[in-house]
Amino acid sequence: MNGPSIIHLWSINHKNAPTEVREKAHIDPVAAVKLMDCLDEDPRCVSVIPVSTCNRTEVFLETPDGVDPVEPLCEGLEAAGLDPAVFLGNHALRLEGLQAVAHLFRVAAGLESMMLGEPQIAAQIKDAYRLARKHHEPGPGILRAFQGAFRAGKRVRTETKITNGAVSVAFAAVELARKFFARLSDHQALLVGAGETGALAARHFLQHSIGHLTVVNRSFDKAEELARTLNAEYQVARAKQDGPLLAAGKAVVTARPWDELGAAMAQADVILSTTGALEPVILPDMVQAAVKTRRGNPLFLLDIAVPRDIHPDVAEIGGAFTFGLDDLDEIIAGNLQARKGQIPHAERIINEEIVEFQKWLADVDLRPTVAEFRAYLEDLKDKQVGFVRKKESDEVAAAVDRSLKQFIKKVLGQSVSTLKSEESPEVREQDLAALRRMFIPQGDPSRPRPNPAGSEQDH
Amino acid sequence: MLVALSFFKVLLPLLYLVVWGLYLWLFIGDSSVARRLCSRVAGITVLIHLSAMVVRAMELRRLPMGNNLEFFSALALATLATYLVIEFRQRGRSGGVKNTGVLVTGVAFLFEFTADAFIINNAPDNPLLKDPGFAGHAVLVLFSYTALSLSFIFALLYLLLSRQLMNRHFGLLFRRLPSLETLEKMSVGAVKLSIPLMLGALILGHLWMYDLADRLPPDLAAKLSPWDPKVLISWVIFLGYSLGLAGYRFLGWRGRRMNMLAVIAFVVTFTTMGLVHHFFPSFHKFQGHLAVWDLPVLEQTQAPALVEEVSR
Repeated sequence: MNGPSIIHLWSINHKNAPTEVREKAHIDPVAAVKLMDCLDEDPRCVSVIPVSTCNRTEVFLETPDGVDPVEPLCEGLEAAGLDPAVFLGNHALRLEGLQAVAHLFRVAAGLESMMLGEPQIAAQIKDAYRLARKHHEPGPGILRAFQGAFRAGKRVRTETKITNGAVSVAFAAVELARKFFARLSDHQALLVGAGETGALAARHFLQHSIGHLTVVNRSFDKAEELARTLNAEYQVARAKQDGPLLAAGKAVVTARPWDELGAAMAQADVILSTTGALEPVILPDMVQAAVKTRRGNPLFLLDIAVPRDIHPDVAEIGGAFTFGLDDLDEIIAGNLQARKGQIPHAERIINEEIVEFQKWLADVDLRPTVAEFRAYLEDLKDKQVGFVRKKESDEVAAAVDRSLKQFIKKVLGQSVSTLKSEESPEVREQDLAALRRMFIPQGDPSRPRPNPAGSEQDH
Repeated sequence: MLVALSFFKVLLPLLYLVVWGLYLWLFIGDSSVARRLCSRVAGITVLIHLSAMVVRAMELRRLPMGNNLEFFSALALATLATYLVIEFRQRGRSGGVKNTGVLVTGVAFLFEFTADAFIINNAPDNPLLKDPGFAGHAVLVLFSYTALSLSFIFALLYLLLSRQLMNRHFGLLFRRLPSLETLEKMSVGAVKLSIPLMLGALILGHLWMYDLADRLPPDLAAKLSPWDPKVLISWVIFLGYSLGLAGYRFLGWRGRRMNMLAVIAFVVTFTTMGLVHHFFPSFHKFQGHLAVWDLPVLEQTQAPALVEEVSR
């Protein structure tokens, strides 16, 4: 990467480091702030943004070109209570310049994620970026790289189908249920078992607006406890989404005792079974009875217990559709395959965004001078408009203000266009020097200071 | 007018091909561009085809269903228009509703291509085609039976997907088709469209028959009977589908059996119609041309006044 500064990256992720190394490299928000505070004061650094999730820790450090970044990084990591050896060891991926920026774009697009295309990583990068901006002003290069990454990620998610299809067991269960029922909100689910796996699946069904969920467990207390927890989570989620809350006394999740399993099955459209029982607990005669009450409506049964909860003969009952973990794995494998097919399209988008970044980089030397020139012209305009306002009406002053704004826009547009068209760096530097000499006297304390990042928008 | 007709003759099959291509692209490639465009282009095609039918009717001064090929073109229009209504009613209910269009639009394209590739403007100038009563009856019959055909297609897709799920085959049909519940609603929705159209067609047919009988000599009028086998079987079909719909609405008939019933009902309907047509005497017969009633007595000018009247 050419220009006044360079971006360095140290990445410890699921591809190159085992869990214990990733755990050591994890940078929590408190440590991240310490790292940023330490490096912010270091003249060898422009800025730093650490990104840390359960599968990766990435440190993006912008330094002036030619500066060795390892020493300030180590000092910063030590100040943050982290072990620099983890970042300098064999498990760390070390990139710099455009390669580092391209890696950031790929991470933001979910191309580097364990679950290809998963969208949470974009939100995690945004959180890291917001934290960084809250504590210090990132350098223009790193700022532009992160903004480009958000754009690249958004484009990849909207222009390709890389996020389509479930790639987790719980979501695959919902996807499968949706092949039976158009709107889950019109249907009821039954969760047999109150363990962690069942709770996770139940949460996914609640997130996808299942109409009602009944929990049946051998221990009724445990079923009631899970129902209470899920109801509370549901209310919090609804409040976050500004959705209508449940009326007092109403619950989307209820518990029923074990001896009412048959009756609960007769009312359910979706049955999720996740008990730890050693023998099947859902037997053919129970399913037969449930199917009879349904007048042909399909009954969706999902057995995610090991060993299986649903008796194998249930699969022979017409109207009862039984699925297991193997089926969900097959769906996930198919979806992952489809997502992989989207990688070339996603790569094209990443390359386009890299080209955009390169274009920005090519003009980066113009920005401070152009920003100062703009500030100078606007200062002149404000003085002139103030002078007119004293002698003429506000309407006239406003008209002059509008007119001068247009004038500044045209002058700046023409100047930038001329500077950009100059291919020789020496001539361009001479032009910039001339512009600075004529319009931007050094050391004028009355001069307004422009934003060094130019007109970049915050995301 | 003739220039316009020639233009439509080239344009319409191309439009139907584009519509089919878009639905095919959507089904195979799950393209977002195709998803955005397919219904819109199909809607535009229906409007253009409708305009072409109006131009053709004005030019020929008769219902443009005078021979097999004209009938095929009308069938293509009815198929696409009815499908779009059903698709519109199910929009947003479940992903994949539009993926069912690939079959229907393919059939519509074949009808339109056949019609426009071989169509000639030498259909017999049957006075019945100029009668508004007959025209209304024929159009209603066309749309109602098209809707029944679509109900059959959706029920068939339901059974296919159901079988795939039962056998745990998570292939293209699994990924592309909407939920079983949506397919069932599309199938039932098609019947819901068909029932009032069929009732309208039957009532209009009866009224028109009595009106025609009043204008014919008694010996000819006697041939027009409400107890004609084809008319009777139409009422039986109407009642059968109405009962099925009532069972769905009030008795909660759902699922595989309901869709199997829809498939069987359709097969029985068309088999019975064919059998009645071939083996029973009826005034209500086609001869050579699918949409032109053959009342030879009218052609033999035994009722010249009527012929003259309807011709005028």
